[in-house]
Amino acid sequence: MSNVKQISVFLENKPNQLTGVMKLIKKSGINVRALSIADTKDFGILRMITNDTDKTCDVLREAAYPVKVTEIIAISIPDAPGQLSRVLDTLGEQDVNLEYLYAFTGTSDKAVSFVLRVDDADKASAVLTDAGIIQLTENDIADL
Amino acid sequence: MERYWNKDIECMPREEMKKLQDERLAAQVKHVYENVKYYRGKMDEMGVKPEDIRSTEDLHKLPFLSKADLRETYPYGMLAKPLSDCVRIHSTSGTTGKRVVAFYTQNDVDMWSECCARAITAAGGTNEDVVHVAYGYGLFTGGMGLHDGSHKVGCLTLPMSSGNTDRQIQFMRDLHSTILCCTPSYAAYIGETIRDMGLTPDDLDLKAGIFGAEPWTEEMRRSIEQSLGIKAFDIYGLTESSGPGVAFECCEQNGMHINEDNFIPEIIDPDTGEVLPEGEVGELVFTSITKEAFPLLRYRTRDLCVLSRKKCSCGRTLIKMAKPMGRSDDMLIIRGVNVFPSQIETVLIEQGYSPNYLIEVDRVNNTDTLDINVEMNPDQLSDKIKDMQDQEHKLAEAMKLMLGINPKVHLVSPKSITRSEGKAVRVIDKRRLIDFPKK
Ligand SMILES: [Zn+2]
Repeated sequence: MSNVKQISVFLENKPNQLTGVMKLIKKSGINVRALSIADTKDFGILRMITNDTDKTCDVLREAAYPVKVTEIIAISIPDAPGQLSRVLDTLGEQDVNLEYLYAFTGTSDKAVSFVLRVDDADKASAVLTDAGIIQLTENDIADL
Repeated sequence: MERYWNKDIECMPREEMKKLQDERLAAQVKHVYENVKYYRGKMDEMGVKPEDIRSTEDLHKLPFLSKADLRETYPYGMLAKPLSDCVRIHSTSGTTGKRVVAFYTQNDVDMWSECCARAITAAGGTNEDVVHVAYGYGLFTGGMGLHDGSHKVGCLTLPMSSGNTDRQIQFMRDLHSTILCCTPSYAAYIGETIRDMGLTPDDLDLKAGIFGAEPWTEEMRRSIEQSLGIKAFDIYGLTESSGPGVAFECCEQNGMHINEDNFIPEIIDPDTGEVLPEGEVGELVFTSITKEAFPLLRYRTRDLCVLSRKKCSCGRTLIKMAKPMGRSDDMLIIRGVNVFPSQIETVLIEQGYSPNYLIEVDRVNNTDTLDINVEMNPDQLSDKIKDMQDQEHKLAEAMKLMLGINPKVHLVSPKSITRSEGKAVRVIDKRRLIDFPKK
């Protein structure tokens, strides 16, 4: 199973909310590997992958942040035209719904890494494996 | 077996009670007419003499009193006894305008503690109990009222006052408190804190709670009962008429028995002042028939509720008042629709949210806006923005069904809305700022 754990944090749309979380994480010696924020007028959802999911959750919950862990798929594809759409097409053809995606700094400058949030992670994982697309494991990401 | 503090009064046959009320009312009207110049003026203006009031049927002939009268006569204008006969002063919180101060003779204090003793007994209290009073002590009547009542019953009384929640819980555990008395919003907060500390109701010895001084809903009652492992009883009162204990709940938990030997209730149409028949919703009016120092006749409470003389399974014959639906003062008129904060609380608890919320009413381009800040439920956090927005929409829909107008719901962080240790502030009405005449 190559699914990777992503941590989501509820942030109010107020100044210094993100800074607060990042300070806490830094102080705890946790490394953030991937990060994105989606927001609305009222609030934001910070999503991230760290080198220690359990510790990150503990630290944030201790500080009363609402936290949730979900499984996502992380892939590494060549940094070339048409590569991302190939992935999306592959998933689409097999009826896997993509909720959102974001890029993060990967293993080499010839490749780009993406977090994919799909409705059916197990199925997506199998589909991508069949299509020869490289998926990153938690260890791969922790070692970045 | 139902226990009573004063069975003779609490279970007195109606005809006997009526006779007692008639006698006390006539004497009280005479006492007020002779000693309170302000009220005498009102009676004279209406051409009513003390002799005209012989029984409760004549009550409607008397003029009303309102909070405005009490402000106008502040501080001594309603006093019916020399100050040398008075032993205590209490005061309303007075968030707007002048405070109202009320005076008590020793008999008044005794009557009040008798009322609270009845409430504590109805909640199952005996001299075996440890009564934890977390109402504010001081000018506010909550603390002292339940304190004196608890003494009267012979309970071991813990005069905690409000605040310092960690210490409240520590004392509750170390000293085995069995009955908690505080505002419902503080009880909810204590319940929440207990859960956050990783404790359960089994870690406490509480069996009952007596909660009042602010409106609360049935849903909030169930939620407090669960979080503290208790049976929660409502209590009603106001500083103007003594304090908590004017009415109290029995084991039926369905309306509060009014201490009719001291207070005669009426329900009136708040617009016309006309007395409404039993069972109709209107403004609650009280006449104090035993108070000596500060005896208010036909005092308009602004509380909207219903009275019922249906036989109660507890055996008490005292008339019951339903939980007030809200103060007519608390009622917001938004886009012409009457909105009570308690309705919003009901929806929140039904939908699994914390009953801590903040309502902001404003006027934009001559249209009223209603914004409700709600603490998000951490168990419902999703990494998908759409899910979170759906939660806001779903809540707004439920609010619309309840209120009849469309609010905007905003999810905010858990515990970010200030918890109240006394009366909760739930509403910010920015329209008032606009409506004030500018100098
Ligand atoms: Zn009853």
